[in-house]
Amino acid sequence: MNIKNNTEDLEQEIADLESRLHNAKAQLASSPRSAKASSLSREPNGIPPSIPMHALLLLSDSALPLGSFAYSSGLESYLAHNKPLPRSVTSIASFRRFLKLSIASLASTSLPYVLNAYRYPETLETLDNDLDASTPCVVVQRASLAQGRALLGVWERAFRGSYGLYTSSGSSMANGAGTAAKAVKALEDFLDALKSCFDHVDELGPKGHFPPLWGVVCSIMGMDLHQTAYVFMLNHAKAVLSAAVRASVMGPYQAQAILASKGLQDMILQRIEREWDTNVEDAGQVVPPLDLWVGRHELLYSRIFNS
Amino acid sequence: MPIKSPFETDVAKAGHGEVILDLLPPSIPTLTTLTYKYPLKLLARTPGFVSRTSAQTCPSRPVHLYLLTYGGGLLPGDHIDVSITLKERTRMVVSTPQGSTKIFKTEPTASVKGQRGTPAHIATDMSRQMLDVRIDNEAAICYLPDPAVPFKDSRYEQVQTFTVDGTAPDSKRGSLCVLDWVTEGRSSRGETWDFHFWKGKNEVWSDDGSGSKKLLLRDSIILDDECDDAEQDADDSHPNLIRERTHPHGIVGTLILYGPVYENLASFILHRFTTQPRIGARNWSTSVSPAKSATESYSSTTNTNVTWTAARVRAGFTLVKFGAADFEAAKSWLGDLLREEGSVVREFGEEALICL
Repeated sequence: MNIKNNTEDLEQEIADLESRLHNAKAQLASSPRSAKASSLSREPNGIPPSIPMHALLLLSDSALPLGSFAYSSGLESYLAHNKPLPRSVTSIASFRRFLKLSIASLASTSLPYVLNAYRYPETLETLDNDLDASTPCVVVQRASLAQGRALLGVWERAFRGSYGLYTSSGSSMANGAGTAAKAVKALEDFLDALKSCFDHVDELGPKGHFPPLWGVVCSIMGMDLHQTAYVFMLNHAKAVLSAAVRASVMGPYQAQAILASKGLQDMILQRIEREWDTNVEDAGQVVPPLDLWVGRHELLYSRIFNS
Repeated sequence: MPIKSPFETDVAKAGHGEVILDLLPPSIPTLTTLTYKYPLKLLARTPGFVSRTSAQTCPSRPVHLYLLTYGGGLLPGDHIDVSITLKERTRMVVSTPQGSTKIFKTEPTASVKGQRGTPAHIATDMSRQMLDVRIDNEAAICYLPDPAVPFKDSRYEQVQTFTVDGTAPDSKRGSLCVLDWVTEGRSSRGETWDFHFWKGKNEVWSDDGSGSKKLLLRDSIILDDECDDAEQDADDSHPNLIRERTHPHGIVGTLILYGPVYENLASFILHRFTTQPRIGARNWSTSVSPAKSATESYSSTTNTNVTWTAARVRAGFTLVKFGAADFEAAKSWLGDLLREEGSVVREFGEEALICL
């Protein structure tokens, strides 16, 4: 009797726990942050889908021909404006400050465009226009356009063959075929609009800024949203560090040490978390002097970078 | 249910104001609407100034609009919402005769940690100023206010929206000159960027008349200390993020120029910017020691204490951004620049530069 009661209790408890688990899962799936959780919940069947991983490696490769190495994102100008350094500040410490400011600024100005382009690829043209309107100087604009158009070139000549078709066969893992197909359509429409714009000069036509295009391309290639944001931020950090090595701020091993550090990882994750739900209307500059340094890059007597 | 005040009008809600400036024939600027409600006060005046040498043919007399708040500042929860319409060929000078817009302290409240989206309960005690300006063809606005001075622990958001007719040809477009600057606080009381939140957003939209709008320009500065109030009370050693991010400046600002009236001014500023001495340039002609020339070139970039940049961004906008050690340095630099070129004084009279 006693044992039977116990088993009944246990069964009751199990049923109760199961229903709570079920509810919790349902709540998680319907919460706006579910996209972020999906990267974690994909593991159970043992074999992580290989396609996002493959795309992740392609897109995070520094050999991806975007020409990012030509831009220092204001580092060169920052160094010139903070010369000579006070005795108490080492050049590494000064660089670390810049990296922190640069990452915070990129996250607040550009990351919302990456996230929104991934979520709503059909708004690509509006996002491109709004980002162009929010770009405060020609130096930044030049850098963003050159990389955005390079990404479009890579899409057209390289990725389209594998990813433009594969989505129509409906095998996208992370997105579901519908979303990816929509993203492909948005990107192709944008490409057409950009090309037709070359013929007649329309100053307000599509431009091809990097951040929204990055979001759409990553979505097509099956990356999840959090990866998309992380690789976007990390690639920026890599470009700035590579510029620092070439501007002789530090050696290549020191640069790798910063890149590998927990501090950098945490910083990127924290910035992504902060901007995760930011609307593009609320994007803005959090580091006003950075606009000044970047804008004054043109005043440098000698330059080794394009920004 | 509270008894309805007999003095209450439904024309304006608290903090709301509406101004419509029209030109009656032959060329008499007239305010067809001027309403406002506490804590906002609007005053208008038409000095006899007539522009003699203008970029436009037969310009109208500029009307001066003074934006006033009781006590010259904004308390937590104060919302100012001003809508201005400038009909064709009218001109307006908007200024803040009470000096800087003081933004008073916000009481601590809990916020959602680590998130940028503003929770509703924070939004209610944040001071906010909205300005919505519609500029018709050939109209012009000159808005050179004093800077915002956010006091310690304050929260403030300002959104200024300007709408122009996108279909007008270049020479008929509306013109605007907008200055938006913010200081580190009451520096006399040792405040350096000690507020919680300041956001200044300026947008210019183009409206083609059929209802479809396009964003032409957005300039947005967000100074956010990103810390939970409760946490800060417990731990004063929290690094001041705003100070770190604005260093070495004590004031930062943006000047936006657009339209035919400011065309000369924009070219003048751009020319001044591109002919600044190169940073890091050496004077090869004389035999000064390398160390000395390096310090000289450095000081030549900082001797004015104002670091600035100017760019002709898209759609005919010129954007000037600056940072300076203190308010006086920025004020004298900008005032000198505008007076030297002279078109603001020519078009709107000396009084348009009252805040500079």
